[in-house]
Amino acid sequence: MTDWTHLTEAVGELNEEEVLKILEEFIASNPTEEEAQKVVSACQSGMNIVGERFEAGEYFVGDLIFAGELLNEAIGTLKPVIGSASDKKVGSIVLGTVHGDLHDIGKNIFRSMAEAAGFEVHDLGIDQPVEAFVDKVKQVKPQIVGMSGVLTLALEAMKETIDGLNAEGLRNNVKIIIGGNPVTKEVCEHVGADAWTTNAAEGVKICQGWVN
Amino acid sequence: MADVKALQQERISIYHDVFDNKIPKRVPVNLSFALEVVAQYGKLNLVEAQWNPEILEEAADKMCRKVYSDVCVFSGTFRFPSFYQALKSRSFVMSSIGFIQHPEVIGMLPEDYDYLIEKPYDCILERVIPRQYEAFDLDDPINTVINFTKSMLAYNNDFMQAGMIIGKMTEKHGYYPGSLFSGGFTEAPFDLLADQLRSFKGISMDIRRMPDKVAAACEALYPIAFKKGLPAKPSKYAPVFIPLHMPTFMREKDFEKLFWPTFKRMVEEYASMGVHCNLFCEDDWTRYLDYLYDLPTDTVLMFEYGDPKLIKEKLGKKHIITGLYPIMNLKTKPTEECVDEAKRYIDILAPGGKYIFGFDKNPLLLDDINLESYCAVAETVRDYGVYSNPGETAGMEFNKEDYKVEPSRKFESKYYKTWDQYKALNPEVSDFGSPKLQGLEEAVFQYIMYLMM
Repeated sequence: MTDWTHLTEAVGELNEEEVLKILEEFIASNPTEEEAQKVVSACQSGMNIVGERFEAGEYFVGDLIFAGELLNEAIGTLKPVIGSASDKKVGSIVLGTVHGDLHDIGKNIFRSMAEAAGFEVHDLGIDQPVEAFVDKVKQVKPQIVGMSGVLTLALEAMKETIDGLNAEGLRNNVKIIIGGNPVTKEVCEHVGADAWTTNAAEGVKICQGWVN
Repeated sequence: MADVKALQQERISIYHDVFDNKIPKRVPVNLSFALEVVAQYGKLNLVEAQWNPEILEEAADKMCRKVYSDVCVFSGTFRFPSFYQALKSRSFVMSSIGFIQHPEVIGMLPEDYDYLIEKPYDCILERVIPRQYEAFDLDDPINTVINFTKSMLAYNNDFMQAGMIIGKMTEKHGYYPGSLFSGGFTEAPFDLLADQLRSFKGISMDIRRMPDKVAAACEALYPIAFKKGLPAKPSKYAPVFIPLHMPTFMREKDFEKLFWPTFKRMVEEYASMGVHCNLFCEDDWTRYLDYLYDLPTDTVLMFEYGDPKLIKEKLGKKHIITGLYPIMNLKTKPTEECVDEAKRYIDILAPGGKYIFGFDKNPLLLDDINLESYCAVAETVRDYGVYSNPGETAGMEFNKEDYKVEPSRKFESKYYKTWDQYKALNPEVSDFGSPKLQGLEEAVFQYIMYLMM
């Protein structure tokens, strides 16, 4: 039984070279799906370290973006050996930047971290109308809806989107989290969301709390 | 009319006092609305107003009568759809509700670094602009010339129209005829590389994968960024506006190595010419306050977030502070609380001078604020922010002789000619043509780099 602590640490350190070296050696060893799953978990645990360091003020948004990319790269490298065991999801999230706003950096960081934590994320993209959220929620019946926005004008759009879910009788089936630079506790109450964050790692924790 | 002129004189005095290291009669109220807010206030179609800015005059006038400010309440915009559309911009795009934004797009690939470092302006024109502006198509040169010309004509026309409204309002209402942006507009070399060239994600990768190339690229972009912001007529009352974007998203060690050196040199080089910079410190700069202290005296620092007490304590004697008051209050709190909060900010930030009242950011749309609270705050600042000791010396004094900058790389490109270079190629041309032709050369440079900021 191999101990993957050093891989977790290398992901946490955002040491790309080391992570890829470990993974290439691992793949060359012709591993089983079960072993591969452990390696995926080790990478995901590394993302927890990244999230903790972000919360502690040691890492910043640029580091989170790098971390998301590193994880993608790692999972891409592992793909041939992962198999189907990885399909089990802890929950599903419909995610998008609300209408009027074209920003997606924060949303993408949240998506990477939520996926790393085992969520299935349906990302609608940027500048998404109310109907896009409503239709997707009807279609995939997620536990969580995540709305993102950077500009202050996104706040009213978040409210309209939540009102739209309400009008369709979907509001009570989902938990709603809003995120982005202008989001605050007051805004959360004003728009009628369940939670708010300006920190993707914290946002993922909130979502985990909802599905556990 | 005489009252308006007297009021304008008072406004000129209070702004100039701030830049002359004197305590002004009162704290300048530096509030304005962008085009979109004014259009909404006038119940105009937002998209139409951006395409035809001349229709904004009545709404701008109405807004000026409604809201107190010492600068023109209508500030125009940085982004008109006309010139971005004529070049089919991918990097400045109108959203579904008619608000132009900068989405995350990549103008420069990692493999372009070497060329950027070798010939930065050539690389921008040959590789970056064609990626960001689809109608700037190197395979279709004649249409590209036509599209480029249309775009530049639109740029000149629309800024002139908005400028005329600002000019009229300034005269009519006796506003301070300058602004904290009037010297020019540029970006820190690192932000130029990040925002339009490599993208937020791209630069976040490069910082870890190829930091040496990032540093070299900032050096290469330095003369371009510096020239872009250089005022035609340097004045200590006309700062160069530099919005700072990436620092708070970076680790300090990356900031120190990659962002700060070329940026600090740029601010110092302007200072050596007697020009100040107005820096918008986006997000929370608390961990960088000591760096900001090191910038030339009387740098205007417009903060978004942070503790006003700490900022005043650390920087207030050396630099001019503005911003900080949370615009979101005006939506979420009752008017009375907003007014009390304004007094609290003045009590902290005004003593000792070197303070201009402003919000942490401008509202993007009218719905972002309660306009009555906005007006109440503005009037409170005007009436409450009065000094008992006007004319006294305010903090440290600025001397341009204190700033010496080592010569940096020269701005050189086959796509830009100095008069001497032009004359060498065209010896028959009269020297009478020099100011005109060189002025056009500069105008095209300014316009091209505007597309990149």
